[in-house]
Amino acid sequence: MRKESAIFHVNGHTYEVLVEANLTLLELLRDRLGMTGTKQGCAASGNCGACTVLLDGRPTLSCLTLAWTARETPILTIEGLATAEGLHPLQQAFLDCGAVQCGFCTPGMILSAKALLDENPDPNEEEVRAALAGNLCRCTGYVKIVDAVLAAARTLRIGGER
Amino acid sequence: MHRTLRPFELLEPATLGESLDLLERHHGRARVLAGGIDLVAKMRRWQLAPECVVSLRRIPGLERLTVDQGGSLEMGPLVSLRAVERSASVQEGWPVLHESVQQIASVQVKTMGTVIGNLCVATPASDVAVALYVLDARLTLMGPKGERILPIEEFFVPVASSVLEGDEIVTQVTVGPLARHTGTAFQKLAHTKACIAKVNVAALVTREHGVCSMVRIALGAVGSVVIRARQAEAVLAGQPPDPKLIAEAADVAASESQPQDDLRSSAAYRRRMVRVLVDRAVTEAARTGWKER
Repeated sequence: MRKESAIFHVNGHTYEVLVEANLTLLELLRDRLGMTGTKQGCAASGNCGACTVLLDGRPTLSCLTLAWTARETPILTIEGLATAEGLHPLQQAFLDCGAVQCGFCTPGMILSAKALLDENPDPNEEEVRAALAGNLCRCTGYVKIVDAVLAAARTLRIGGER
Repeated sequence: MHRTLRPFELLEPATLGESLDLLERHHGRARVLAGGIDLVAKMRRWQLAPECVVSLRRIPGLERLTVDQGGSLEMGPLVSLRAVERSASVQEGWPVLHESVQQIASVQVKTMGTVIGNLCVATPASDVAVALYVLDARLTLMGPKGERILPIEEFFVPVASSVLEGDEIVTQVTVGPLARHTGTAFQKLAHTKACIAKVNVAALVTREHGVCSMVRIALGAVGSVVIRARQAEAVLAGQPPDPKLIAEAADVAASESQPQDDLRSSAAYRRRMVRVLVDRAVTEAARTGWKER
């Protein structure tokens, strides 16, 4: 199978990778770039949301995306949220609110939440639940996850950086 | 079980014309990629292993969602479910389509999945298809022999299939404007909000001078394709939409359904639920239809 070189913009960095057509974005991130924050949860059926990344700002299932089609497009993964100054307000809120149990769904949850807050800085609880409906938490700790997103929204509105 | 995708050639045409050429050249061995929700998932399960994948994603302009001068809604091949959900013109002009998309739970699926991709999967449980049935949508298919425009009902064929040829692409879905005094409704029953429907129903009722001048009822997940419940529609045609008559129409709709047992529900339960959901949908459509549009 032919391999071709492609440029990927992940978390503000540029990577040139030789990719095959049948490589998924999830495999690219985890196996080629060593970014294992993005998870494979369900049987690649689009049900669990653990593999969610932001592709051009939009919440995208990396397990159902061909890596090649994501080339030259901004990709944000959980590894790209924290800065030198510290955690992103969403990450901090997840810690503060006890919204992380086993942690497997957390990267996808946080990226879905970020997509929500980027377009709606002041969501109500119902809007948060709707935004996270595609992300399953097998520990079923949804209440604190929703609390965390609402808390992060408040922090961001007060003037934290996004 | 997730697996690495079987090897294939990924082709990225720059125009629709080019993609049609590629499909013709690779006839029967190629699949079209839009959002990938269905295709890539099937490829990961090795249910599908096409030799070529023709991606439409780099073709400019295919995400157009517009209302033309005559008031018709036109959607291109890359219009996402999310774009439909967020479109103010769809919500205002074709609320049943908005509702059918809105209750799809996963934002990611709506963001990636396209309306036309959903139709091409041809599942009789498609929420979007049920809504588009009562809206009398038309599909434009382009292929090597040119273009054909089909009513949505002629697009689907048993079992859970469509008339789309391997060298054709659905390039547009068109929905005309709703008539005055027309109301619509969408009802769905599923295990959880994220699940595929056990039964879904859409209804459209136009009222003139106190009677139903037009009624359309579509039933999903209770047949090998989406079903228009024409006998049920006939019960109401020309009659005032009173509760007794709506209940009678709902009974007829249940008898028109052809449900089967599967892992999501039983045939008997589905038939009973057709009656409940048709009753609710027609009642709501008749009520909202009374408002001036």
